[in-house]
Amino acid sequence: MRRVIPIILGCIGAAAGAAPALAHGVVLNYQPANSIAVEATFDNGEPMADAQVLVYSPESPSEPWAEGTTDAQGRFLFSPDASLPGTWEVSVRQAGHGGIVAIPVEGTSVATTAEGSGSGGGEATSNSETMSARPQAATAGPSPVQQGIMVGSVIWGFIGTALFFSRGKR
Amino acid sequence: MQETVIRLARAGLLAVLLPLTLQACGGDSPTATDTASPDPQIAASGTAGEGTLVVRANGEDFVRQGFTTSDGWEMEFDNVYVTLANVTAYQTDPPFDPQATQEINAQETVSVSEPITVDLAEGDEAADPVMVAEVKAPEGRYNALSWEMVAAPEGPAEGYSIVLQGTATRDGQTLPFVLRLSEELAFTCGDFVGDQRKGILSGDDEADLEATFHFDHLFGDGEAPADDEINTGALGFDPLAALAEGGRVEANSQQLSERLAPADYQKLLEILPSLGHVGEGHCEETNLTA
Repeated sequence: MRRVIPIILGCIGAAAGAAPALAHGVVLNYQPANSIAVEATFDNGEPMADAQVLVYSPESPSEPWAEGTTDAQGRFLFSPDASLPGTWEVSVRQAGHGGIVAIPVEGTSVATTAEGSGSGGGEATSNSETMSARPQAATAGPSPVQQGIMVGSVIWGFIGTALFFSRGKR
Repeated sequence: MQETVIRLARAGLLAVLLPLTLQACGGDSPTATDTASPDPQIAASGTAGEGTLVVRANGEDFVRQGFTTSDGWEMEFDNVYVTLANVTAYQTDPPFDPQATQEINAQETVSVSEPITVDLAEGDEAADPVMVAEVKAPEGRYNALSWEMVAAPEGPAEGYSIVLQGTATRDGQTLPFVLRLSEELAFTCGDFVGDQRKGILSGDDEADLEATFHFDHLFGDGEAPADDEINTGALGFDPLAALAEGGRVEANSQQLSERLAPADYQKLLEILPSLGHVGEGHCEETNLTA
């Protein structure tokens, strides 16, 4: 039995920047984006290197949103369109082995653990894969409750500080 | 008054530190949710348009074109009869994972209950997968499929769930064979994995679903390396060729259980649950009776 394990990692960039234009210069820009890393291995630990990868968005499950191949470690990185929340699907296939994993994406973050499946069947045979996806810490913003507490705390902090410095001398 | 001010100041200092603590605790945690937004274009709805689901069975090129086994036999199939019953297509959300211990969470199901026998070797080498059934179905995305394999109630495979008939050739020796298997199986599968996506039914259109059978799991694949798991886990044809009488191999499940070496018969039983797939997608085998 073989196992395909895509691991979802969250990545985020920093603020976009641009260099001033120069003759023959190179302008490099970057944009912050949450990314998903899929890592596909057989259950014997062997990576699915150079495997075909098809990414399907929630908007169009029949046409690949992105295509590519895994690297030598069986990894593939993509950044889902944050304007298309829902279940993204990633298919990884190689020489008759394959699987598909469903990845819930909420706005700009990977939402939860997802499981998929692949070919093969049963412990008795060789070419069976299982796909599981594990979200890892993306740089997620505070929840609304956290934001409210933080704002209130900061305001009260300023009030307290002001009162401290305005206290009378003994 | 002064004491009050000092206490207020301490509270203010604590209030400044609190959000930092909250950020440290919550900033690296992904937001959890266990629901996915349905595809807006094909959201399942029992009252939406009704199209046609076409369920097909596919023995792949191994059956249609023949292949070389792990032990070097050239296999040609005249007939590969399989009998499917209770074929059910599901719209599931979250997507069903056959390898997880979970029930199918189906928002819509479409089923064909009666047993249907098809010949996977039907047609020429380029033939399309054979049709099992057509059924009217509400539009939506059918991303899970289940079926049972039962004894054929009539016809050339009567009494058996799988019948393999053809010839095996190696080193100038040709052995006709007929293998009649009575084991009953049931497969529950997730989404089709292959060159194209299947089961997406829009409006009054038509969509395919496919029950795929991987007979290379049984016989191996001579084109794959000998140490590939498809070969190391296969039975091959040698154990069956050893049963030949009068220049042909003919056996049913009962005879195989009696005449095969115990280890080979056990391997056969272990392989059968791996025959069913949806393309390359995995299935859970939920029943095995001899």
